[in-house]
Amino acid sequence: MSSVAQQSAVAPARAQRAETAPHGRYALPKGALLVAPAAIFLLACFVVPIAQMVGYSLTAHMDQGIAVPGLTTENYARLFRSNLYWVVLTRTLRIAAITSVICIPIAYPLAYVMARGSAFWSRLVMFTVISPLLVLVVVRAYGWKLILAKQGFLSWLLQNLGIAQAPPTLLYTEWAVIIASAHVFLPFLVLPVASAIGKIDLGVEDAARTLGADWRAVFWRVTVPLSLPGLAVGVTLVFSLTAASYVTPQILGGNFAAMLGTLVQQQVLSVNDWPFGAALATVLLIVTLVVNLVMLRLFERRFARWAGRGEAR
Amino acid sequence: MNPEAPRIPFALALCCTLLSAAILAPMMIPIAVSISDSMFVSFPPRGFTLKWYGQVLADREFQTTFLFSFKLALLVTALTVLLGVPCAIGLTRFRFPGRSLIFALILSPIVFPVLVTGVALLQFASRLGSNDSFLQLLAGHTVICLPYLVRTVSGALLLVVPSTEDAARTLGAGQFTTFRRITLPQIRGGILAGCVFAFITSFDDYAMAMWLADARHFTLPLQIHVFIERSFDPSVAAISALMVAFSLALLLVVERALGLKMQRIVAG
Repeated sequence: MSSVAQQSAVAPARAQRAETAPHGRYALPKGALLVAPAAIFLLACFVVPIAQMVGYSLTAHMDQGIAVPGLTTENYARLFRSNLYWVVLTRTLRIAAITSVICIPIAYPLAYVMARGSAFWSRLVMFTVISPLLVLVVVRAYGWKLILAKQGFLSWLLQNLGIAQAPPTLLYTEWAVIIASAHVFLPFLVLPVASAIGKIDLGVEDAARTLGADWRAVFWRVTVPLSLPGLAVGVTLVFSLTAASYVTPQILGGNFAAMLGTLVQQQVLSVNDWPFGAALATVLLIVTLVVNLVMLRLFERRFARWAGRGEAR
Repeated sequence: MNPEAPRIPFALALCCTLLSAAILAPMMIPIAVSISDSMFVSFPPRGFTLKWYGQVLADREFQTTFLFSFKLALLVTALTVLLGVPCAIGLTRFRFPGRSLIFALILSPIVFPVLVTGVALLQFASRLGSNDSFLQLLAGHTVICLPYLVRTVSGALLLVVPSTEDAARTLGAGQFTTFRRITLPQIRGGILAGCVFAFITSFDDYAMAMWLADARHFTLPLQIHVFIERSFDPSVAAISALMVAFSLALLLVVERALGLKMQRIVAG
């Protein structure tokens, strides 16, 4: 390379231009070469294992402790046959849905202040929203355990404020899992919403105000609709992450709020029923992918309409 | 942030303060509990002692798993950079057939649940007859860290002013020299942001390690979960407090030494 560069300074530079330009014709070998290590790595350690797992769930099932090969839908039929698995599946979807919904009203004030507040408030909220991400999830779940336990912080607080004499214990219920999941995944909703609100032209809000809208109308009819793309991304993330969480429900729900992840763990590591475990994991994967596709498609289309209208103005 | 920003109404400020307190509470309560001089965890803490910290810091399991997770996270970060930076350059600077497909491939581990990727890797490794837990953890964590680094580095590459690269070339700099002297300084922030994210993701991971770790390669989050299930005294609270302090130190290092905004790291 350097010897070529020494022959003529200008000619190779022009040739490189062709390569670095996005439409370069000579770019094939070098670009593909740069991408190849990462692509091959992901193919070997991600695509093939996932494909094999999905295949495994369809080509084997356990019969009295022995894996029987052969094309089968037995693993999936079992999921629908047994009441236990059905209960766990619906509980997983319910907890993920409630968590996502609860996060929305919590995220909006924080995101709004982060995007629109003074430097002081913006920095303060940003710090409190982001700092939990640096703390281990296990540690955060343990923190909630100390808060929600029978002799925990919350019951102490409620008793001393005189709100409740014998407050109900939330630990080891679905609500404990929901509260902790909302806390763990809240930043994934606040950040996209804040970024979406930050992108709204201040002039649009001013225009609405000038035309006589009070702050409530501005918020509901300007800020919220224009921040929907951020909301869609955030809610999808919170839902997927909650549905696939394992350790938070394990610490806060115990055996009373087992979710799909717990079921996969039991089938694979305790019962050793790998084909059924693979089927459960595949179901979890499909749920996540469908939610992602549907949500993003839905909002992309709606947002395209809004954006189009915005440009026409 | 914005000079012409409207003033925050009092109610909104109050609301944000309360929410912030609730967000920080689960990280503060363990600190209060950890100094309690009682055999069982309860609130409010009784007495004052630092013995739980002494006990935890002397704990062999805590020491070994902390060091193991730290080393693993460093190696994962290095491998992620080695694979991710060239990949980001290839994706943003060159056009070749299948480019968008590869871009989708690189980003897809973000969408796939880590728990599912982990169990798939376990079954794959077992079919290959591999029982090298360390290698599996390294590969598994790199799979989940790679997309974030490629995203931050690609984002930084797109912000590089192309004419600076062209100028260097015209002045006779080779391709590598141009990258080292012109491009690299401009994408340094993106690479560092990706590194911090990769380190934290690997260090914090539970859903992948629960499948791939074995007794000799046990990670810190798994060990802390074992502590939580096993003991009811404030020693676990002391571990939590230590981990919060560790995170704060990490935050300070990132903000001060590297001059990075945390928002950039998370938002990508």
